[in-house]
Amino acid sequence: MLEIKDLHAEVGGKEILKGINLTINPGEIHAIMGPNGAGKSTLSYVLSGRDGYEVTGGSVTYKGQDLLDMDPDERACSGIFLAFQYPVEIPGVASATFLKTALNAQRKFRGEEELDAMEFLKLVREKSKELDIKDDMLKRAVNVGFSGGEKKRNEVLQMSLLEPDLMLLDETDSGLDIDALKVAADGVNRLRSPERSALVITHYQRLLDYIVPDFVHVLADGKIVKSGDKSLALELEEKGYTDISAA
Amino acid sequence: MKTLSPLAQKYIDRFDSALETLPGAGDRNISTLRKSGLEKFSKLDFPNKRIEEWRFTNLASLTKGPANEDQPSTPALKHDAFKADYEVVFENGVFSKEKSRLEKLPEGVRLTSLAEELGGGAVFSLDEDDNRALIALNTAYMQDGLCLHVSENVEVPGVLAIRFVTNSSEPQNIHIRNRITLDGGAKLTLLEEHEGNGHYFVNPVTMIHLSDGAELKHYKHQNESLAAYHIALTDCEVAANASYKNFTLTHGARLSRNEMKTSILGADALSKLDGAYLLDGNQHCDTTSLTEHKVSQNVSEQVYKGVLAGKSHGVFQGKIHIFPDAQQVSGDQLSKALLLSDEAQVDCKPELEIYADDVKCSHGATSGELDEDALFYLQARGIPTDQAKKMLVAAFLGDVLEEIENDSVRQYFEVLSASWLERV
Ligand SMILES: Nc1ncnc2c1ncn2[C@@H]1O[C@H](COP(=O)(O)OP(=O)(O)OP(=O)(O)O)[C@@H](O)[C@H]1O
Ligand SMILES: [Mg+2]
Repeated sequence: MLEIKDLHAEVGGKEILKGINLTINPGEIHAIMGPNGAGKSTLSYVLSGRDGYEVTGGSVTYKGQDLLDMDPDERACSGIFLAFQYPVEIPGVASATFLKTALNAQRKFRGEEELDAMEFLKLVREKSKELDIKDDMLKRAVNVGFSGGEKKRNEVLQMSLLEPDLMLLDETDSGLDIDALKVAADGVNRLRSPERSALVITHYQRLLDYIVPDFVHVLADGKIVKSGDKSLALELEEKGYTDISAA
Repeated sequence: MKTLSPLAQKYIDRFDSALETLPGAGDRNISTLRKSGLEKFSKLDFPNKRIEEWRFTNLASLTKGPANEDQPSTPALKHDAFKADYEVVFENGVFSKEKSRLEKLPEGVRLTSLAEELGGGAVFSLDEDDNRALIALNTAYMQDGLCLHVSENVEVPGVLAIRFVTNSSEPQNIHIRNRITLDGGAKLTLLEEHEGNGHYFVNPVTMIHLSDGAELKHYKHQNESLAAYHIALTDCEVAANASYKNFTLTHGARLSRNEMKTSILGADALSKLDGAYLLDGNQHCDTTSLTEHKVSQNVSEQVYKGVLAGKSHGVFQGKIHIFPDAQQVSGDQLSKALLLSDEAQVDCKPELEIYADDVKCSHGATSGELDEDALFYLQARGIPTDQAKKMLVAAFLGDVLEEIENDSVRQYFEVLSASWLERV
C-alpha cells in the first residue's frame, strides 16, 4: 500500500527527515512513537502533501503510484487521510458544509454520484452518533471554539465519513479524556479491514491497547531507529527513548 | 490663474451651451444655482493627490484627457435581476417612465424625477457641499435623478429598486442628483443599482434627510462597466430615533469612490454603514466615510470587507468626528481586506476626531492573505484548491453580508458575490 524509501525532507531549509524507510501493507497498523521534535508530524505532512515540506531525497509509492507527484487533494481523494495533531479552525465555514463538500469532492473524483442534502444528513447523523458527537457541532464553524477533545473527535468523524484507505493519525489521542479515547479508538477500529491500513503516531502506549498495532517504530532525529511488535511500546513506556535509541 | 485639468476646462468651456439644454433651462433660479456650482468647481478643479482626502485615489486618468479608451470595456457582471416591488429606471442618466414600475407604491410616497422638478420651476436650495468639487460640479451639471418623499409614519412594504443603466457607445459624463426625504416615523427599503457598458463617467450625488424615528435601509449594488468611473457622494442627516443603514456591494467600474457623510443630529439615532468590495484586474475602489456625531447618545457602526485579486487597489478612509458635548456616543469601525494576489494592494486610514470625553470608539483595519493552514486543511480532505480558495473567500465575506437585514437583498448579494468569485 505504502512504500517509503530513504525519504529526506526539509522544512524552512532545515533537514528534518533524514532517510526514512517504511513499508505498510494492506490491513496493517503501524504505530510511530518518538521524542518531541523527532519529525513525526513532518512525516505525516510530507505524506499528505503540505506546502513548505520539501522532499530532498528518496521516494514514496502509494498503491503503485508516485505519491510525491500528487496534489494534496488528489492524495486525499485517493484514500489518504491525515487526522491533524492540531486541527485547523476555519471561521465562516459551517462544519456540515465542509463535510458535505469534502465527501462529494471525493465521490466526484471516484466517479460516484454526489450525495444530496438529505442523504448526506442521514449519513453524518449516523456517524456522529457512533462517535458521540452532538448535532449542533455540525452547525458551528469548522473547529471554531471546539475544545481540544472535540477537535480530535471531529477528526475521527471526518475519517469515518470519508472512509480512507490509509489513515494517518497524528496524536489523535492527545487531549481526549478516557471515555472519548475509547470512543475514538472504536471509530478507528470500525474502519479496520484487510484493505485498510493505518499509521498511528502517539506518545502513549494506552492508545495502543485499543488500536492494537502490528508494528511499532521509534522515530528519533528524523530516522526510524528501532522497530518491533506491540511489546516495543510497553518497553518504551518503561525505559523511555534514551535507552532505546542508544541500544 | 492656475491651469485647470483638461476635463475641468472642458466642463467650463461648454457650460454656457449646456445651460440651454439642461433641465430647468430658462429658469433664473436654477441657472443661478448651476452657475454658483460651476464657479465653485472652477476654483477647486477635480481633486488631486495633493488633497489629503484624495491621497490614495488618483483621478488623473479621468481628468487628463479623453476617457482612457485603451481600457477594454468589459461589460458588467451578468446576473439575474432582483425582483423588486417597485422599480425606477434611469437610462443613460435619464428617467424612463416606460421602464419604471411604480403603480403599487402606497399613498404617502411622492416620487418624481429631478428633471421634472427642475423643469417645473421647483425652488431648489443649495445643498451643503463643504467645498467638495464633485458636488459643486454636480450642482452645475445635474441632469436627472430621483426625488423621493415619504410622508410621516408611512411604512413602505417591500423593496424599491432604483436602477441606473448606462449603455454608451461614446464616452459620456452623467451627473445624477438624488434627494430622499423620510418624514417622522417613515420606513423605506431602497436598492440602488448601477450597471452599464462602455466608457463613461457617472457622478451620483444623493442627499438624504431622515426625520425623527424614520428608518431607511439603503442597499447599493455597483456593477458599472469595467471601463467606467463611478464617483458617488452620499450625504445623510439622521435625526433623533432615526436610523440609516447602508450596505454597499461594489464589484464594477475601473475606478470608483463611495464617499459618505453622515451627520447624526439626535439622541438614539443610528448610522450603520457596511459594505463589501470585490476587485480584480486594475480596478480601484475607494470607500471614504465621515461620520459626525453632533449631539449626545447615539451610535455609529461600520464594517467593510474587501477581496482584492489581480493588480487591484482598495482604499478605506473612515473618519469618526465627535463634536464637543456629544456625550455617551459610540462609534465603531472595522475594515478588513483579503489579498488574493501579491500585486493587489489596500490602503486604510481610520481616523478619530473626538471632542467629548464620555465616548466609546473603536477602529481596526487588517489586511492579509488566505490562511494557508485552512487551505491545506480543506485540500487534505479532498477539496480541490480552487474550490477550497472560494470557500475561504466566501467565508471571509459571510459575516459582513450577514449585516444585511433584508433577507431577499442579502440572498441577492450572496449570489452576486458567489458569481463574482466564479469569474476571478
Ligand atoms: N516551519 C519550520 N521551520 C523550521 N523548523 C521547523 C518548522 N516546522 C517544524 N520544524 C521543526 O521540525 C522538527 C520536527 O517537528 P515535528 O512537528 O515533525 O515533530 P514531532 O515529532 O511531530 O514532535 P511532537 O511530538 O512534539 O509533535 C522540530 O524540531 C520543529 O521545530
Ligand atoms: Mg507532532
